[in-house]
Amino acid sequence: MSSGEWSGDGGKWLDAHYDPVAGLYTFSSCVDLADLSGDGESRLVVGDLGSGCSGMKLKVYRGTALMSESTLLDLPAGLVAFFMDLHEPRIPAVAVASGPCIYVYKNLRPYFKFTLPGLEVNTLEQDVWQQVREGQIDPLTLKEMLESIRKKADVPLSVRSLRFLSLDADDMDDFVQLHKLQPIRRQTVITCIGTLKKSTADEDGVSCLVIGTESSDVFILDPEAFIILSKMSLPAAPTAMDVTGQFDVEFRITVACRNGNIYILRRESDKPKYCIELSSHPVGLVRLGKNVVVGCTDESLQGFTQKGKKLWRTVLAAPITTMAAMDLPTRGFQAVLVGLANCEVQLFRDKNLLSTIKTPDVVTSICFGRYGREDGTLIMTTKGGGLMVKILKRTAAFDDRDSAPGPPPAQSIRLNVPKKTKLYVDQTLRERENGLVMHRAFQMDLSRLRLAAAKAYVKALESSLTPMSSSLTEPLKMNAVVQGLGPSFKLTLNVQNTAACRPVMNLAISFLYDESLYRMRSPYLRIPLLVPGLIYPVETFVECTSDKGISDIIKVFVLHEGRSSPLLTAHINMPVSEGLMLS
Amino acid sequence: MGLFDKLAGWLGLKKEVNVLCLGLDNSGKTTIINRLKPSNAQAQDIVPTIGFSIEKFKTSSLSFTVFDMSGQGRYRNLWEHYYKEGQAIIFVIDSADKLRMVVAKEELDTLLNHPDIKHRRIPILFFANKMDVRDALSSVKVSQLLCLENIKDKPWHICATDALKGDGLQEGVDWLQDQIKTMRT
Repeated sequence: MSSGEWSGDGGKWLDAHYDPVAGLYTFSSCVDLADLSGDGESRLVVGDLGSGCSGMKLKVYRGTALMSESTLLDLPAGLVAFFMDLHEPRIPAVAVASGPCIYVYKNLRPYFKFTLPGLEVNTLEQDVWQQVREGQIDPLTLKEMLESIRKKADVPLSVRSLRFLSLDADDMDDFVQLHKLQPIRRQTVITCIGTLKKSTADEDGVSCLVIGTESSDVFILDPEAFIILSKMSLPAAPTAMDVTGQFDVEFRITVACRNGNIYILRRESDKPKYCIELSSHPVGLVRLGKNVVVGCTDESLQGFTQKGKKLWRTVLAAPITTMAAMDLPTRGFQAVLVGLANCEVQLFRDKNLLSTIKTPDVVTSICFGRYGREDGTLIMTTKGGGLMVKILKRTAAFDDRDSAPGPPPAQSIRLNVPKKTKLYVDQTLRERENGLVMHRAFQMDLSRLRLAAAKAYVKALESSLTPMSSSLTEPLKMNAVVQGLGPSFKLTLNVQNTAACRPVMNLAISFLYDESLYRMRSPYLRIPLLVPGLIYPVETFVECTSDKGISDIIKVFVLHEGRSSPLLTAHINMPVSEGLMLS
Repeated sequence: MGLFDKLAGWLGLKKEVNVLCLGLDNSGKTTIINRLKPSNAQAQDIVPTIGFSIEKFKTSSLSFTVFDMSGQGRYRNLWEHYYKEGQAIIFVIDSADKLRMVVAKEELDTLLNHPDIKHRRIPILFFANKMDVRDALSSVKVSQLLCLENIKDKPWHICATDALKGDGLQEGVDWLQDQIKTMRT
């Protein structure tokens, strides 16, 4: 019981138990949680695959300890706990699917064995074996005949004949002697198993078993009599399935098949209702509410609606090893747990990664639910046979933030677009009908506007109305105002630095005028530092010395110190002096 | 003991003490409180507490008012609303539930770090309950797993108990009574 060894999950999980040498070799389909003794404490039921050819066991854990184990005859393909009757106390039975049989355990004792009905046997094959039994043909002829049947026949050969064909010539005789008296049977095997509530949606309602077989069929079994209630066929052998609904009302079986497709079966038909064609093979299938989340071999996780419409796809960092649903009804929380080959378990809600759990080994099975008395328990087994139990903290909160880069959530919010008004519709119609005319009118007006602008510009240039400096280093703008009636005038020059951020320094203003007509108080002015944007008024006084009622032009130059060419020039048309000379 | 206390003792008036009884669900809080009550007031059937219940019992010198809080996950957020009133805490642990020892530790840490508890020198009595169960952990092991040695600023005590038989309960209550008396004087 070590804590804080593997962080990186944001402190959302408590490490309740880790046994790296528990010797549990299993997959998510063979793990379930159930209150097997009716005392309110859930147990962990595991179908242990052992080494793959021996040591298959049904193991039950209570808390941190192994409570019981019993040997299984064959490799388990799936394990489910389900209520098979209404007897009190309400104790679920455990169904273990292995080979062509389902072994049902009650109170952890073998209770019932259901075997799938045999498949149709090839009549030719049957005849051949009949002849062998009567001693009419020897093993070599048998081999030839079986070979020819195998190539032609629509109904495949039985396992016995196939086995016979694979034998060496020496072993054939013994094999024939051993098996010739038994009738030929052709059996299919179970590939996946699920449960379906019979008539009520209650948590402890009686459930039917739903099984998928190698012969591409799906059977629904009655929980009490173990008879086949319904048989549906698929285009390919199923590998994983999810069942929801009630048998008597409406149900939906989502099946991932070996041909890389997902089929959705419904109550009313024995053929798939919808089909999802994936671009790569599915490795895991989890249903969250009304959506189906599929993990694929191309390291992607995809979401679909229950009608097969693709909702999203997200790419993972490593291949998927296993998947499980995380459902916490008390908190209204649903998400998918995905075990990855890079020793991580990631938690996804839709396409958003909520949290990552680092594990010391690759996780091969995940189971989330009520274990013991704790509702949010995460149970994982690892490739090396370890068992890990984590408990979700009471205070843990998964934020809904979209951590993956992509469009912001605001983009998916539907805008409240107002309805189209009659005016809008009329306008649109008019535009559609008179498009050409409107375009021409617009072009005409645009040309006129340009012409007017050019004319105004030329006029401004000619009369130096608002002179501007063309220099890039000292962009300046100036305008001049003449005030007064005469003979004294006040001349105000507003100088502005139009640069974005650079001040202009070392500027001066000088004037050129007819000295016989005008006298200026200061014909040379220094301009202070020009802060960009501000308008600096520079004032001077001009006196008209003539009383003949004539006027002239005063030229203004803005100069940079040390440079001979002016930055800016302006011509000021002086008004006629109306006042009389005082002197 | 002051003169007033003696007087109060003679008159049968005992000092009132508010105690919070906390712990995970199914740890035996209600059973323990039930055991501490006089035998004629004990209930026969113990059912899971919903929300909380208030129980009273008396010892030789104190009158205890116990807030028996529900330990179920969805009611645990009620605990903190009673921290202010509590003058002592009884924390019950199911010694047989090894899996949820981390949950008990988490709840204890949350309790000790709560602003209403953190800076108070409040006595905490731990009951390592269910000692009758075959593979129960010892009280020493429980205190190790809960890291009780890290509690430096509060008096604490752990007792191995069996609430069904009542073993170990009196020892714990006596300790609590002594602590409360020393705090008062």
